[in-house]
Amino acid sequence: MAPALPPAPPLLQIQPPTTAAVSAALTETTVQVKSDFRGARIVLYGAVFDPGGHPGDVVVIVRGPDQPVRITRKQRIAGLWLNSRPVVFQGAPGFYRAASNRPLDDIANFGELRRLGAGLDHLAINAPAEQRTVTRYGVRDVVVSQLGADYYDWRSAVVRLKEKAHLYDEDDHGVRFVDRGLFRAEIALPAAAPTGVYRADILLFQHGRLVSARARTLTVEKVGLERALYVWAHVRPWSYGLASMAFALAVGWAASAAFRRD
Amino acid sequence: MDIYLPIAEVAVNAPLIVGLGALVGFISGMFGIGGGFLMTPLLVFFGVPAPVAVSSMANHVAASSMSSVIAYGRRRAVDLRMGAVLAAGGIVGAFAGVELFRVLRLLGQADLVVAVSYLVFLSIIGGLMLWESAGAILRRRRGQPPPPRRDRRPVWLYGLPLKMRFPRSRLYISVIPPLLLGAFVGVLSAIMGVGGGFVLVPAMVYILRMPAGMVVGTSLMQIIITTALTGVLQAGRNQTVDIVLATLLLLGGVVGAQLGARASSRFRAEELRAILALIVLLVGLRMGLGLFFRPDEPFVLMSGAG
Repeated sequence: MAPALPPAPPLLQIQPPTTAAVSAALTETTVQVKSDFRGARIVLYGAVFDPGGHPGDVVVIVRGPDQPVRITRKQRIAGLWLNSRPVVFQGAPGFYRAASNRPLDDIANFGELRRLGAGLDHLAINAPAEQRTVTRYGVRDVVVSQLGADYYDWRSAVVRLKEKAHLYDEDDHGVRFVDRGLFRAEIALPAAAPTGVYRADILLFQHGRLVSARARTLTVEKVGLERALYVWAHVRPWSYGLASMAFALAVGWAASAAFRRD
Repeated sequence: MDIYLPIAEVAVNAPLIVGLGALVGFISGMFGIGGGFLMTPLLVFFGVPAPVAVSSMANHVAASSMSSVIAYGRRRAVDLRMGAVLAAGGIVGAFAGVELFRVLRLLGQADLVVAVSYLVFLSIIGGLMLWESAGAILRRRRGQPPPPRRDRRPVWLYGLPLKMRFPRSRLYISVIPPLLLGAFVGVLSAIMGVGGGFVLVPAMVYILRMPAGMVVGTSLMQIIITTALTGVLQAGRNQTVDIVLATLLLLGGVVGAQLGARASSRFRAEELRAILALIVLLVGLRMGLGLFFRPDEPFVLMSGAG
């Protein structure tokens, strides 16, 4: 046993871990989107148990539900800046955040990070590039093959634009060890974060190798009036449209009546 | 005070949006236009996704037009028959325009068509109005009499078949020009996300030669019918109408429209037209000139995966 380890709590003495392991919990498992929703901050606490006392690195990856991305590039044609044909990236997460206690490149090698999709450079939206990249030209789906050469530009543009919207983020110091073996990470959800089920993967690395992993889920859902309106607008769009227009016209008429001076 | 929009799925500053609605409503009531050509770019500027801005704007324009048309109706300044003919064309145009816009969005060229439409139509109309109203102001300053009103209407207006009497406007003309005008405005409104008053008002003055007193009220009537249809179509087909956003806008909008309608009586007609012409020209240039400059960010994320 490592002499440097603090005395373990009684629970752990019952079942002492035989290999290094990581464990974590979210302070909240449900985020409710109400009219005052301006984003949310969720704290993740976790602990590293290591009987061997080897130095370890923790990486936390949070992924939102997949949201296909449609992106276009402005090209100069006859002196005008025009949109190219849009390209669709399927399977891009609607939210992505990778947090670690030090730069990811120092924690593991390229292949390991790529395999785990850890970090914005290794995010799986680039997976089978040619097959996944289609343009919707008219009504037909066309597989694009000539995208190959500047594919990297397109992919990095998706990441850059999503980062600007605070939907993608990579933080070299997002995981902080607050005490020996005890760490903390914050997940900042912007107001534009998609609703659905999020998955947080907590990964423990030692000497560049993944030794333990845990997954936690987080649900972001609309509640109350916001949910009712959203469901109405999507399930019965025509009655929603008629009702909202009737409401608008009634407000206009009421205002005119209220302002009548004669 | 931020408020979350359930359909747009973004949070916006509520007082800011109400103020925006009031400002555009004021302009709308003052000039007898819907104000969509101002509102749509402003909403996009403040972070509302463009399809939601365009669609929710229709509700706002319908509401603020409704609140001002009643005042005009009470003054018997609405030609119901002409408004109905224009709206009949507008309904056909709106259906065609919504379909055209869907195809353009699929091709990824909606931005281009919107920008070019803004540049071309707003610049031409703003320029013509500015020329005409500046001339009128100058003549009045110099004490010259206004040029004799050319009552000789274009021959083709009288040559066409299907003539109809419009007693309120004291016109006896073919229904084909107003039908075509309504249809054209309907297409434009679906593509540009506007009510189309900025095209209707000058066209009614210079082409149909309607009496000036009837123009604003009648164009508002056509705008209400067209935007009401557009708003319902957008909600039904694209699910892009955000009722919370529309309500915030029209809270400010209806009040602004009333104040604007009252303020309009304090200005001379040609001064009003000159101010409107400047606003139209500025918005058109601002929207269109982006085509000529190298963008800071060459890539653009488009909303919706379709």
